[in-house]
Amino acid sequence: MEKSFLEATRLNGFLEKLRLFGALHGPTVTDAGVTTFAPVTDPAQLLTDYRRTQIPPKKYLLPFREQLLSYRDGRYAEPAEAPPAIVLFALHPCDLAGIAYLDRVFLGDNTDPGYAARRARLTLVGISCEPDDFCFCSAPDAAANCDAFLATTKNGYLFSALTARGEEIAAAAADLLSASDVSQPAAALQSGTGVAPQDPELRFSDNPLWQKFADTCVSCGACSVCCPTCYCFDVREYPALDGGGVRIREWDNCLFATHGEVAGANFRPTRLDRLRYRFLHKYCGFTPLQGITSCVGCGRCKAVCPVGIDLRELFCAAGGEMSS
Amino acid sequence: MSERVRDMHLPFTARLLERTELTEDTALFRIAPEEAALPQLSRFVPGQFVQISVPGAGEVPISPADLPGGDGTLELCVRRVGHVTELLHQQLPGAPLGIRGPFGNGFPLKEMAGHPVLLLAGGLGIAPLRSLLMHLLRHRDRFGEITLMYGARQPRVMLFREELAALAARGEMRLYLTVDFAPETNGIQSCAVGLLPDLLKGFRFDAAATYAAVCGPPPLYRCLIADLEQAGVASGRIMLSLERRMRCGVGRCCHCGIGQKLCCVDGPVFRAGELKAIPEAL
Repeated sequence: MEKSFLEATRLNGFLEKLRLFGALHGPTVTDAGVTTFAPVTDPAQLLTDYRRTQIPPKKYLLPFREQLLSYRDGRYAEPAEAPPAIVLFALHPCDLAGIAYLDRVFLGDNTDPGYAARRARLTLVGISCEPDDFCFCSAPDAAANCDAFLATTKNGYLFSALTARGEEIAAAAADLLSASDVSQPAAALQSGTGVAPQDPELRFSDNPLWQKFADTCVSCGACSVCCPTCYCFDVREYPALDGGGVRIREWDNCLFATHGEVAGANFRPTRLDRLRYRFLHKYCGFTPLQGITSCVGCGRCKAVCPVGIDLRELFCAAGGEMSS
Repeated sequence: MSERVRDMHLPFTARLLERTELTEDTALFRIAPEEAALPQLSRFVPGQFVQISVPGAGEVPISPADLPGGDGTLELCVRRVGHVTELLHQQLPGAPLGIRGPFGNGFPLKEMAGHPVLLLAGGLGIAPLRSLLMHLLRHRDRFGEITLMYGARQPRVMLFREELAALAARGEMRLYLTVDFAPETNGIQSCAVGLLPDLLKGFRFDAAATYAAVCGPPPLYRCLIADLEQAGVASGRIMLSLERRMRCGVGRCCHCGIGQKLCCVDGPVFRAGELKAIPEAL
């Protein structure tokens, strides 16, 4: 792995080089004060030192609503247009880990064509972060699953290329990178214990926290919307007046009452059932990713929950019970 | 066209050939998928499901009611219960439909070979089991005794009644029918009344060797599993066909989680034994 130093004053020049690889998107603040990944037209808009965006970068790979098929004259057809090339800049390691998980889900057997097309056109540039109270990842400095990574140092960034495209970025930005840097990356602040897979049986524990969570949860679904690895979707079809129609896929939410419906029944009628379902999928995994937690410790669910539900309280309590 | 590169979301075209009303809300649809779909559909194993598209309405998972015909046609027994099935019931012969699949595991036919098979169907559960029954009868010499127990709410909603009676008359299977309610004529009930578990109670069979295949509404499973086990059928040989609202069919949309398994790829046929550890399954 080749590392080079990028002085902080040269960052804008570096961003210009990144634009060679696609439209530059990064963390910005909207007029409403929400931190979000958005197109960066002016480098002054870009946040390099931010905590977390409200909506994770999954929106670039799984748009909130996308057209799967169109229908006309007795036949379904796939959408024809190719996705745009995008460079996603300043992704934190937790979000990169989230994308790595989505890759496992959508690029495995039966590769999802829409996801794969967007993923191929997406260049990922990571940056190290400073955790806050909501974070609980184990490695805020770890470069993973990106094309290039910037590790923050005192006066700038240590650049590393991790893929062939990362090497191309290094080549394009060669004039801007110094041969070396005397300062080392700032020591990563350990943000927490990390995220470990949980025991599936925990969902049926008689721990009173389950009931407490179920009593306060309002089924708003914010935790799933803001989760970088929640990907479950609904498929809907809408006819057009001219006889055609479209089939779309959009984000669904396992906290919603309709999620477990079948004809004449609902397998997850209560909030407790739905919280357990989310717990089971998030921390224990479904086929074929059983035993793999998809929680990356970004802290979004805790930050956005209007009633302050934090499932980790349950794990801590359960851990205490087990050890005592 | 190579199957590998085909977008898995893209249904093959199918044409509605014929519909036969079975009851006031259930009909049998015979559809002809386009030729390109036939290699895939010919791999259908009873118990698997296909995703049927009704243009303008969407897709529903349906377990075919028979094996694909020699000409590739497929029979689907569908009750009118929701948005898509409502529109399917409005379609006339010739209407274009879509089909993807088959998906899921199906019944373990190789493992069941040489054994007696007991099919237990409740209500519309007869539809998926009919394809299994047809397979068993077409390969009659490969299996032991075949018994079908079928319970419906009342005689007029009993599906495939004449057909099943004709099959039983050939002597290749044993058939037991029951209904929850029956109209009375001059104070005399027109047929036997009772629940499926009642039928099972009086049934003498080689339980230790038998494979049971069950399909019906959720409450049916709970009582039948206990009764079958009590009769001596091993929980690993009690096969249950479960229903969930599968959207994608390939294990992604996550609507069909059953514990840590997904109904669309790990099921829809599960063994009673593997469901024991999953309290939310039934």
